[in-house]
Amino acid sequence: MLARDRKSSARGPGAVAAPARPATGATGVPDDASLLKMLYSMKLTRAIETRIERKLYRQGKIVGGVYVGRGQEAISVGAAMHMRRGGGEDHDDIVSPSHRDMAVFLMQGVPPERILAQYMGRRTGLTRGRDGNMHMGDLRHRLVAFVSHLGDSIPVAAGCALTFRMRGTDQVSFCFFGEGATSRGDWHEGLNFAAVLKLPVVFICNNNQYAYSTHVSRQMKVERVSDRARGYGMPGESQDGNDVRVVYEAVGRAVARARRGEGPTLLEFVTFRMTGHSAHDDAGYVPKALFEEWERKDPIRLFEDDLKGRGLLDAGALQAMESRIEAELDEAVAWAESQPYPDPEECLIGVYHEQA
Amino acid sequence: MSTVLRRSRKTPASRGEREPPPRGLLPDPPRPMQNPGLSRQQLREIHRFLCLNRLVEDRLSALYRQGQIHGGLYSSLGQEGISVGTAYALAPDDLLAPMIRNIGSLLVRGVAPLTLFLQFLARADAPTGGKDGTLHFDDLDKSIVGPISVLGTLIPVMTGAALAARMRGENRVALTYIGDGGTSTGDFHEGLNLAAVLNLPLILVVENNGYAYSTPTHRQFAVQSLAERGPAYGVASESIDGTDVLAVYAATRRAVERGRRGGGPTLLECRAFRRRGHAEHDDMRYVPKALLQAWEKRDPLDRLEGFLLHEGEATKKELRAAREEIGPALDEAARSALERPYPPPEETLRGVYHGTE
Repeated sequence: MLARDRKSSARGPGAVAAPARPATGATGVPDDASLLKMLYSMKLTRAIETRIERKLYRQGKIVGGVYVGRGQEAISVGAAMHMRRGGGEDHDDIVSPSHRDMAVFLMQGVPPERILAQYMGRRTGLTRGRDGNMHMGDLRHRLVAFVSHLGDSIPVAAGCALTFRMRGTDQVSFCFFGEGATSRGDWHEGLNFAAVLKLPVVFICNNNQYAYSTHVSRQMKVERVSDRARGYGMPGESQDGNDVRVVYEAVGRAVARARRGEGPTLLEFVTFRMTGHSAHDDAGYVPKALFEEWERKDPIRLFEDDLKGRGLLDAGALQAMESRIEAELDEAVAWAESQPYPDPEECLIGVYHEQA
Repeated sequence: MSTVLRRSRKTPASRGEREPPPRGLLPDPPRPMQNPGLSRQQLREIHRFLCLNRLVEDRLSALYRQGQIHGGLYSSLGQEGISVGTAYALAPDDLLAPMIRNIGSLLVRGVAPLTLFLQFLARADAPTGGKDGTLHFDDLDKSIVGPISVLGTLIPVMTGAALAARMRGENRVALTYIGDGGTSTGDFHEGLNLAAVLNLPLILVVENNGYAYSTPTHRQFAVQSLAERGPAYGVASESIDGTDVLAVYAATRRAVERGRRGGGPTLLECRAFRRRGHAEHDDMRYVPKALLQAWEKRDPLDRLEGFLLHEGEATKKELRAAREEIGPALDEAARSALERPYPPPEETLRGVYHGTE
């Protein structure tokens, strides 16, 4: 765990710095192919969210709100690299993403066009046009639907982990939330329950410093979300959420603990919400200097530079990756736009269990 | 001490007798008691409140067995030092919200035993007029906020009360209680976190009495002491021997002073043991006998009396006189409460909903 910087006691917007980078973890370094996959996933996430938020939403093609994870992609991607998939009921991990974890959906195998159809309220969206944006899940991809009430996913994720315990498997439950959700009673109940029963949950906090317009200094009196871990008797770590390799390593350690039966871990990744709470919010309450500061720490650009420095990427390869993503998305958007809306008579089908 | 004050209870044969006690539930070795600067008169007053607490509950227990009590009865046997020590450390206008095992706090705050008997006997002139039982009443003139049955829910209420006091410019602290079980509720978290963020003078007393109904503490939390929760919220915390009324008083004084000078909330874990069932109907066969025996030796009243004798603050004769003085007055109060009428049935709904007073 990081030593705390007690000097920054006069906290307010701007005072929350990313923690310094720790020594490398024990779980090994991703290979070259994995590194490139991580970059691709971060860029794909950024590109699809940019289209949704800055193009389709403004064209009036999106039904409902838009919540993006711009600037936070490294957290979902670094964590999703550790999710076991494709091995069946007693092998695959389960994930409870937050509304800023688009990358998790993509990496769990949800095609971009289905996500776009979801945002456009089409019949082929994940909720078949019954709900919009990130309010979706798909258990075939081991994705538990996001619960709008922030914090409510936490006891659900702990319950999933309890089923793994009861079945005697080494599966892991991944649980994502923001720093605002940590003030919720459900969050407390879920973490305490997981700690008492030593359940295999990896709790991942995207600390993007604003819960809508509430700065983290008005959310908690402790310096770090991970300071809460001790109160539950579980390990906690705070790390730089804009460095995908750091995220990868920290999540890897927590997953290994969980698989060994050593219980839950609380991970905090410090990052910044490079946008409003949702697409309609101009975030006028966030000091401009903060956006500028965190723009310089953009996780994608930092990672590109890192890979270039290692000789894994050059301008040509980057260009090719970007062209591939744009082409993929052109196709996905066209497909989604061609999809029908649900029939009004179908409104209630699938909304309640017996009608599914 | 005299057997008058200690009711002998048979613990039923149970699986608990064959099994070792759940970990972490045996008492730590006692540390010698110390006078935190109280006068002889104050020490004797605390002694009187402890006796009163115990004897009132004794009378209530007898009435329960006679079928006179309506609803549940929750004993604080062995935990009286927590109620008395905390309440005694407050100023009369500090906000106090007792829970169901805090008759002692009410007595210190000046609630008459007669009022308590009327309430438990559900009489027409009880605080809730016979509409509810146990300690479910408030007295805002005495700065007493009523308990809420749903455990944990009182904490955000008292955070709000502390906030209201501050907004009015009043330097009052707000003190409430929660059990070890109640710390697992969401309301505990939300109330304590908000008090921490707003730096409010909330004193949250956690009565760790070993069991939440039948759930032992190792099934409730994964920390050694609930005081470890303090740093998780950025609030001051202490773990105290709840069977030492003077230590409880001293720790509460520190918390009060912290709150008054703007130092924010305090989380006080007071460790004791629930020496009776969850409520009077519960035979607590799930509690190993060894635990009850160990904690009986840590009786808060016995400990205070031993201390007063050792320090020469009272003689055996004086202590006996103090106890014996209480009994007849309580018998009289109970008798007079039993003579009071029940509310007439047509008044059932009066005062239950706002505007029906």
